[in-house]
Amino acid sequence: MRSNRKKREYIENFLFTIPAVILVCIVMYIPFVMSGYYSLTEWNGIAKEPLFIGLKNFREIFTGKVEFLSSLWFTVRYTLLFVIMSNVIALALAVALTKKFPLVNVYRSLFFIPYIMSMTIVGFIWKFIFTSGFKSLFSLTGWGFWNFSWLGDPKLAFISVTLVGVWQSLGFYIVLYIAGLQAVPQEVLEAATVDGASGVQSFFRVTLPLLGPSMTTCIFMSLTNGLKVFDIILALTKGGPGTSTYSATLQIYNDAFTKNMYGLGSAEAMLYFFAVLVITQVVLRVMSRKEVDL
Amino acid sequence: MAKRRKRNTVILMIALTIVSLVFIYPVFLMFLNSFKPFGEVVSDPIALPKAPTMENYTYVIKKIKYFNLFINNVMITVIGILGIVVFSSLAAYILDRRRNTYTKIVHTLLITPMLIPFQTIMITLLKAMNVIHLDQSRVGLGIQYWGFGIPMATFIFFNFMKTIPKELDESAMIDGASTFRGFISVIFPLLKPVTFTVIVIDVMWIWNDFLLPLLMVNSSNKTKTLVLASYTFVGQMNTKWQYAMTAMVLTVLPSIIVFIFLQKYIVEGVVAGAVKG
Repeated sequence: MRSNRKKREYIENFLFTIPAVILVCIVMYIPFVMSGYYSLTEWNGIAKEPLFIGLKNFREIFTGKVEFLSSLWFTVRYTLLFVIMSNVIALALAVALTKKFPLVNVYRSLFFIPYIMSMTIVGFIWKFIFTSGFKSLFSLTGWGFWNFSWLGDPKLAFISVTLVGVWQSLGFYIVLYIAGLQAVPQEVLEAATVDGASGVQSFFRVTLPLLGPSMTTCIFMSLTNGLKVFDIILALTKGGPGTSTYSATLQIYNDAFTKNMYGLGSAEAMLYFFAVLVITQVVLRVMSRKEVDL
Repeated sequence: MAKRRKRNTVILMIALTIVSLVFIYPVFLMFLNSFKPFGEVVSDPIALPKAPTMENYTYVIKKIKYFNLFINNVMITVIGILGIVVFSSLAAYILDRRRNTYTKIVHTLLITPMLIPFQTIMITLLKAMNVIHLDQSRVGLGIQYWGFGIPMATFIFFNFMKTIPKELDESAMIDGASTFRGFISVIFPLLKPVTFTVIVIDVMWIWNDFLLPLLMVNSSNKTKTLVLASYTFVGQMNTKWQYAMTAMVLTVLPSIIVFIFLQKYIVEGVVAGAVKG
């Protein structure tokens, strides 16, 4: 009787979980293992079998024959600027949007709207603005600033794509910070005011330390989202001018699907995976240590 | 003191009004230009349309077969969400209630893929999906979303499951219900808040997703999604921006309408998902 029940439980455990396991294996694990194998091959997608070439793809990447490390480096720079700008601007706006004034909810919703839009579409809207909209703002105002080559100059293009990335997801970080700010107990802030702290002082000394968990969430989310940047760049610059906004993800995509170098693309994909893994784990470690200190 | 506070509030409101108007102007601009003829989009992209026209809409709706694509989007999203919610909640239930070696292994197996970026596997995914015929079809794409959505959904369901007392399952069992019945009739209804979180996050993701549909269903109008249709309008050398903007409005508008009605819940869901995820 007892062993029968045990047996039934085991069968149940299996039946309840197996659909999820199979599905995850099919779309994630199996392709992942295949990528690992393909990264050791040369394959154009047409030939029947990929040709095994050992570590040649990786050697070419590390000796600079294939310029992939520069795309990885772009991704890191983009992510850094993206994380800083998203968090600083979102926190500032969240502080303003937690004050009491009429229609505050309408303002909050406005900032959230780009976040519900597809990133590809966001990229196209801004491409139109950078190329046509700014031109007519220039003829309207005469300010040279509008006439800069926002997508044509390598340095400016880097700023432009980052700004658009920040614009798209800012609303998301704002609502996370608002939730965090609302959880800060009013009594603590009042006590600080009674003790003679100015608004600025109590923000930096009381509110900010208490925002620790929200900040960890926001920084971590913006970090992983920054490292995955793809749609916005494809829509805005396709990696240009030259290769100045060429992200790792975009290069993997192009090498595999437009240049038909599936082996090389897979090798880049594996390197990208390890880079993302290392960066996120290191940041997570550092942040969790910081939070304990508070 | 009160006077000063009032003055500060007024200054804050003016500043916020300016910032938010500048912030939202690009979205507004997309709407504006969808009502202009080609010449006006080129000559005066930021002004209000002189004589608003619906011509772009009649053209684009016919050209991309908007209603078909809309149905495609709805179908893919609904199939995707159903599978993610059903399979993740089932798995999370067992993973929480039966703690043993098997469930520990499965738990790790199911949530680890959250660390794998999509671009790492997309090349071989295309090949694998081709072999098992899940590419080039809406149902196939929906099924693929199950696999991609399960890790995070399982994680969220699992964390919430801990807060549901085990006595509830036991009382269901005493009443003679099977584990599956007990789950459906007692546990699943209690998961409502977190189910809603999963739905909100995943609807926004699947509805707007670009790369997976581009790889899987881009070849035919029968399977295409709305975002892909907008993409083809901008793809050419001389973008016909008036049509592109119209296609983009038609893609975004359903999301904006849903957002206007459900904004409170959507924001709550997104916050909960981020904090738990």
